[in-house]
Amino acid sequence: MSVDTAAQPAQEAVHQRPKIVTSKQRVTWVSLALLVLVVAGVVWGLSIGSQQISLSRLPGAIVRADEPDELIIQSIRLPRVVLALCVGAALAVAGALMQAVAANPLAAPEIMGVNAGAVFVVVLAITVVPSLSGAPTILLAFGGAAAAGVSVMLLAGSGRGRVSPVRLALAGVTASSLLISLTQVLIIFDENSTDSVLFWLVGGVNFAGWQDIRNLLPWLVLGLIGAFAMARSLNLLALGDDMARGLGQNVERTRMTGSALVIVLCGAAVSVAGPVAFIGLVVPHILRRLVGSSYTVLLPLCSIGGGALVLYADISSRYVKPPFEVPAGVVTALIGAPIFVYLARRQKVTS
Amino acid sequence: MSAAIVAQHVRRTSLAQRYPGILMGSLGVLAVVLSFYSLSVGATDVSMTDVFNAVIGNTGDQAAQIVVQFQLPRVLLAWLVGIALGVSGAVMQGVIRNPLAAPDVVGVTKGAGFAGMLLLLAIPGMPVVAVVPAAFAGGLAAAALVYLLAYRRGATPVRIALVGIAVSAAFEAGIRFLLVRNPLDVSAALIWLTGSLFGRSMSSVLEILPWVLVLVPLIVVWSRRLDVLGLGDDLAAGLGEPVERTRRLLLLFAVALAAAAVAVSGTIGFVGLIAPHMARRVFGGKHVASIPAAALFGVLLMIFADMLGRGLAPPLEIPAGLVTAVVGGPYFLYLLVKTGK
Repeated sequence: MSVDTAAQPAQEAVHQRPKIVTSKQRVTWVSLALLVLVVAGVVWGLSIGSQQISLSRLPGAIVRADEPDELIIQSIRLPRVVLALCVGAALAVAGALMQAVAANPLAAPEIMGVNAGAVFVVVLAITVVPSLSGAPTILLAFGGAAAAGVSVMLLAGSGRGRVSPVRLALAGVTASSLLISLTQVLIIFDENSTDSVLFWLVGGVNFAGWQDIRNLLPWLVLGLIGAFAMARSLNLLALGDDMARGLGQNVERTRMTGSALVIVLCGAAVSVAGPVAFIGLVVPHILRRLVGSSYTVLLPLCSIGGGALVLYADISSRYVKPPFEVPAGVVTALIGAPIFVYLARRQKVTS
Repeated sequence: MSAAIVAQHVRRTSLAQRYPGILMGSLGVLAVVLSFYSLSVGATDVSMTDVFNAVIGNTGDQAAQIVVQFQLPRVLLAWLVGIALGVSGAVMQGVIRNPLAAPDVVGVTKGAGFAGMLLLLAIPGMPVVAVVPAAFAGGLAAAALVYLLAYRRGATPVRIALVGIAVSAAFEAGIRFLLVRNPLDVSAALIWLTGSLFGRSMSSVLEILPWVLVLVPLIVVWSRRLDVLGLGDDLAAGLGEPVERTRRLLLLFAVALAAAAVAVSGTIGFVGLIAPHMARRVFGGKHVASIPAAALFGVLLMIFADMLGRGLAPPLEIPAGLVTAVVGGPYFLYLLVKTGK
């Protein structure tokens, strides 16, 4: 089966939007615009901070980093920018995957409780074993993310055929708030600093270091490659289960693989950057509007767009009141809430 | 949907519904006993005899001082906040005829919290009394916003709940934003984020007291009108009820009660949602019984949450709002599963 025959009907089926067929030209323009945004954001992100550093130092900072200015760039600003890009990519692609797997436009890791589950387990682990950090916490985060996601699906009643998107969202948000409350209880028992409370409740890349990126990167690469590789199966899945089966898809296997990738991407991102809000909901929906619903195009663009969104959220968070920094998650929540309202309004409620 | 649930409860008259006075009385006694016990729980151990001495006016020794200065305002506040939230939720569920309606679900709590905090931080010398009107304005604005945004050829219960969550998320982000801009200490931050009775004094009690004293009796007197509204708009209008005006006034009262509660205790979740449900389960759908019962269940929940938060691991304090969220979250999920069938 050629790429075109698979992609075209899929675009028509997903979420029943009339204006679907997008030209290659449009995709090219959107990708170019996103890349320009990312490059501009990286330069901007590297150039702001309490110390004025000219951008001509950038190459030197990457290669050797001898002088203080170069060291600042290399050890503080660069990891922050890189981590923002990585976390955004992971969460946005996970969101798109989730919407495909659950056949539900309101599905997203932060709404289905996946992020909150990961945070809860990570904070629990840190409370019990304070020295714990890095790789083992990521593995634990996978466990938490998986447990929370599966429970929400079961609670919303996915056993009885198609679940209404709104019910799934309500169940997920409530489960999230429960997990967040438990996390807060743990934080109160553990230590009393507003910084750590805000970090684990809101998420952000303020404290980024190269170690975080090293921990995240293998999982991110695995998750992204896996997601891109299954883009065509996801397009078929969007036609509906029966149609996909008729076309020779193993629907259950596609769902399982997709869910596993969501858990890898979210667990890894959340365990290094906290639950940055609404990325997985907002980015796929905006990009779907711009380039259509074919996952072969959508997933790669989501990885760039998500990175750009977190990067700019982080940058604007530094302008709010200079020595203080609002975590990027606050900014993304403010952007995401209106889009969530818009999506909720569009739902036909059947409950 | 809610009408169906209410009807179902009315039909199944239990012993409690035939003799509501007895059960209501025993619930009240339970709340009072729990309050006395709660007075003795805390970082310092106080014996029950000391508590009694303190309450009847023997404030001689140190233990009695602790009770009167620190514990008593909290317990009184737990009563008032519990009543305010329970009644507010009961009225909202009755008026909107929506089992998922509650001050926190429709965004009132977070909106009121945001407005109250904004006022406190923007004008540092502001008298605390002004927080209640500000919280009221914020709560009202949030509720109106949720209703407008959810309205699309009618506003269904589930869509109101979903939009309420989104609007609450935005206001909560706003609260966090204010917290970062104006670093307070952790306990103050937690009060505004999750709700807590920690460190409250008698002045907070006096702030919320008039609202509860005026609005709650008014609502109880009007409970017949709530029953009439529950019959549906046409029938209610036929019975001579000015439907729209009654509904708007009652909603205004409900928002005012919730806002007063938020102004003194921060954004405590789920009490306004689950107290009315418990009340309806036990006392049936007639509002003249279920509204006082919702107030009592609200009180019980608040005292329990505050006591647990104080007593679980002293001297650490778990905010009461966290306890109510941990208890209320599963209950909400249960309601959601049940309404789907």
